[in-house]
Amino acid sequence: MNLPSTDIRQLNAFVDGELDLAAQLVLEARLKEDAVLRAQVEHLHGLREAVRGRAEYHAAPDALRRRVGAMVAAQAAGHAPVAADARPVSIDSATGLKAILAQWFAWRPLVPALGLAAAVFFVTNLVLLPARLDERIEQEVIASHVRATLAQRMIDVESSDHHTVKPWLSSRLDFSPPVYEPADGGSALLGGRVDYVDGRAVAALVYRHKGHVVESYVWPASSSQAAVKFAEEKGFHLAHWSRGGMAHWVISDLNPAEFSALVAQLSSSD
Amino acid sequence: MTAPADLQRFEQLALPHLDAAYNLARWLTRNDDDAHDVVQEAVLRALRYFASFRGDNVRPWLLQVVRHTCFAWLKENRPGEMVPLDDSEEAWQVPGPVSEEPHVIAARNDERVQINQALAALPIAFREVLVLRELEDLSYKEIAAIADVPVGTVMSRLARARALMRQALAPEVRPALRAVVRPLPNGTQS
Repeated sequence: MNLPSTDIRQLNAFVDGELDLAAQLVLEARLKEDAVLRAQVEHLHGLREAVRGRAEYHAAPDALRRRVGAMVAAQAAGHAPVAADARPVSIDSATGLKAILAQWFAWRPLVPALGLAAAVFFVTNLVLLPARLDERIEQEVIASHVRATLAQRMIDVESSDHHTVKPWLSSRLDFSPPVYEPADGGSALLGGRVDYVDGRAVAALVYRHKGHVVESYVWPASSSQAAVKFAEEKGFHLAHWSRGGMAHWVISDLNPAEFSALVAQLSSSD
Repeated sequence: MTAPADLQRFEQLALPHLDAAYNLARWLTRNDDDAHDVVQEAVLRALRYFASFRGDNVRPWLLQVVRHTCFAWLKENRPGEMVPLDDSEEAWQVPGPVSEEPHVIAARNDERVQINQALAALPIAFREVLVLRELEDLSYKEIAAIADVPVGTVMSRLARARALMRQALAPEVRPALRAVVRPLPNGTQS
């Protein structure tokens, strides 16, 4: 074994037919001249034939073959692959159906979680939906109020007498809005008009309170009774409530204290 | 979970190589029962990864899975056999030859037994490449992929494996061989 290891590797690769053409030609030329190399190649060939011809080739035993077949079949049926008893290897329609069913039932542990998620979604919407509706109406009321102020066309029926304003509105709407007439204290009914809020024609009553314009939008409500809620947006103060089947939305640029006092009057009047 | 179409492909392409899988596992574990277990485990792994198998040569791929499973199994169950192998040039000095006791010599009367014993006695890294080369007739490149080493390492391991086999099979010839080799200029041929 005194040959350099690179030579020995080359000889092995030569015997295995793994040398590239150039290296092979060089080695063949060397082999012609070198008896020792030839002897080595001879030896390697002999060993190669001996191992190939005589070393035992362990073919898979039948038991293993059956077991592996069963494992594949079990996989096809979607089960944990343990099967001491042999099952046919073929994937028939029955096991295919089982696999599909097993896939479906694999979702079963998730059902309570999905139900809970659905319930949370439902309740959240139930809570948030009225809030969102209020927000939308709030925006519409502000828009109507600002539009009317800018156009300087707030009043269609000009009267401080609710006996004039109410019939006028009733004749133009499909409902009769309560019209509050302030008795004293710097507030006065200026008149009313018909406007459009929340997808329907509504009554808009216009008051003056200490130099500030106050508007009250009224229309039949879905809920007959609801407590007063205040809001503030873009410098306007808003309040809304339901009473006697009517929704009231009041908007003004009054200061908060006077606004809430006025709202208290309005909401308890009719 | 493997899709039905993949399972069918697995049956058609991979299962025909079950013999090769068992042969490799049997030579690496040197035990029927262990080889049985390892091949089952390897088939499970192969099933799991088969969907991602791209290529047309399933046998080296399956043998790679078997080889990895085998080594993982051996590492856990017989860590003594898993000595790390030094592939450097300095490590060329191979372990000593098998013992010369009378019963061993008697066993050599049967060449078949002799070869099987010599092959089984090889350190696992050498046994592995020799089995893949001589019994599975795989190319160096395929062996490199299966054993997860460069082609150059396959080359040197094969050379060492054969040198060890030679030592084990014909210890009485070695002195004569040395006598022939020694007078020659060492490594000076071009």
